[in-house]
Amino acid sequence: MTEKINIKNVAKLAALKLTSEEELKLEKDLSMIIDHFAALSEMELPDEKITIHPLGMSLNLAEDEAFKFFTHDEALSNAPEAIDGQFVVPPALD
Amino acid sequence: MDHYKLPISEINKLFKDKKLKPSELYTEVFERTASTESIIHGHLSLFQEENIKKATDADERFLKGDELGVLDGIPVAIKDNINISGYATTCSSQMLSNYISPYDATVISKLKEEGVIFTGKTNLDEFAMGSSTENSAFGPTKNPWDPSRVPGGSSGGSAAVVSAGSAIASLGSDTGGSIRQPASFCGVVGFKPTYGTVSRYGLVAFASSLDQIGPITNNVSDAKILYNSIRGHDPFDATSLKDVNVKQPKLEKAKIGIIKELMEDGISEDAKSEVHKVSKLLESQGHEIIEVSLPLTKMSISIYYLIAPAECSANLSRFDGVRYGNRVNGNTSYEMMEATRAEGFGPEVKKRILLGTYALSAGYYDAFYGQALKARSMMKKEFTETFEQVDYLISPTTPSDPFKFGEKSDNQLEMYMSDLCTIPANLVGMPAISIPTGLSSSGLPLSVQIMSPFNTDNTLLDFAQNLESEVSFNALPQIQGDGE
Repeated sequence: MTEKINIKNVAKLAALKLTSEEELKLEKDLSMIIDHFAALSEMELPDEKITIHPLGMSLNLAEDEAFKFFTHDEALSNAPEAIDGQFVVPPALD
Repeated sequence: MDHYKLPISEINKLFKDKKLKPSELYTEVFERTASTESIIHGHLSLFQEENIKKATDADERFLKGDELGVLDGIPVAIKDNINISGYATTCSSQMLSNYISPYDATVISKLKEEGVIFTGKTNLDEFAMGSSTENSAFGPTKNPWDPSRVPGGSSGGSAAVVSAGSAIASLGSDTGGSIRQPASFCGVVGFKPTYGTVSRYGLVAFASSLDQIGPITNNVSDAKILYNSIRGHDPFDATSLKDVNVKQPKLEKAKIGIIKELMEDGISEDAKSEVHKVSKLLESQGHEIIEVSLPLTKMSISIYYLIAPAECSANLSRFDGVRYGNRVNGNTSYEMMEATRAEGFGPEVKKRILLGTYALSAGYYDAFYGQALKARSMMKKEFTETFEQVDYLISPTTPSDPFKFGEKSDNQLEMYMSDLCTIPANLVGMPAISIPTGLSSSGLPLSVQIMSPFNTDNTLLDFAQNLESEVSFNALPQIQGDGE
């Protein structure tokens, strides 16, 4: 059932710029892994309830209350670029 | 007399009886680090300067009888994907080589309250993805038993430093065996607690439904002490469990199941004979041994390598060069993001992000990720039903003894298979412990893994401690150049 993986498209979805050598190697490696999944993807499985928590329990959400956490400066302390208390990024469009 | 292999409870008694000071122990452990680190490369950073004061502070507390607990003054190493405020958390990745954490992980806050001295941060496969530490951006860790062999991974640094005696204990994280497999390769104890019993807050996320922090120690008693210090509900982690009462497995005359599928093809004769040896020992203690079949364990590698990369592709999207980590400039935000991720991530991380992105993409979701989630639920059902018949499950921890550097790095599926025995416990969320039980025909450590139903962690630890005392594994690595 496996078809050829479109590595350029997957890399674009993942926001990863690959060199042509990486594309070749990763296409081969990923195809091999995906072939290994064939037995699982072809298995007849009943419609089981699927859950995020491995023990099937609901998430414990915190109370919606304000509390003291990072200061503004702490939150920005690892930013590659920050000006006037804000993260700086290149323009979104050319 | 050397103290670095003594159980924590005995060290604590020596501190209390004024026969040993925390500063003397720290000096001993640091000297041990100095003589072995150039061979082992277990630590990525050492906190020696500040620790001298912390150790003398602990001396004072013991002198005045004001000690904080059994872990006060104990040197513990921390895997470098767990945040300690004011120190680097690199995840062994170029992406985070300049990241300084502004906060403590919950496990770190808890250990600080107990007076633990952190030796430093330990090496791992980049973002905890790997089974050998060969994927670390800062060079691999070597196995103390044989530096030509891997220490396992991803918590290879944490396991190697305990084995080498350059920390009394350590914390690792386990997503598919990353505590137990390196513990086995390095001849020490590794414990993966029930999912949700230890907060993941402050652990850099790899696969959130599988990741769990746990201890790597010289013995089961130390694992129990550390586990009980770091466990407990945490409102900062939405998957953190509140205490629930569940039926505990028996400690005496227990029924133990050997997992048939983990004693078949792909498991070395050495690893199988270790399980048979331990089973006979358990029988002689009055326990009953039966063989059980859990057919979906054969699918666990496929299930895991769909779920874990899918979660990793989402979790690692946060590394975009905006809020933290290194940045490579570009003309637009998207170009900057693509270039940053291309330079910051290593080959295995890129591969897993792409695999997860593919498995989650339109047209493939149901066939791959959806199918893996269904199979995971079925697997959980198989384990739950099996635990209605038995108290514990037993298997090898690893299919073989430690492999050589480069032996599996060109064969990705073979590398992934080294987690065959450990992955099931992550998929079903149950606790599992690896304890060293003997040496292979090559003189390298071998272990068995014991699993128990969810939330029976302390009973599992008690059971493992009884077994450990019967096995009496006391071999130690002879590290070249350590003068022993």
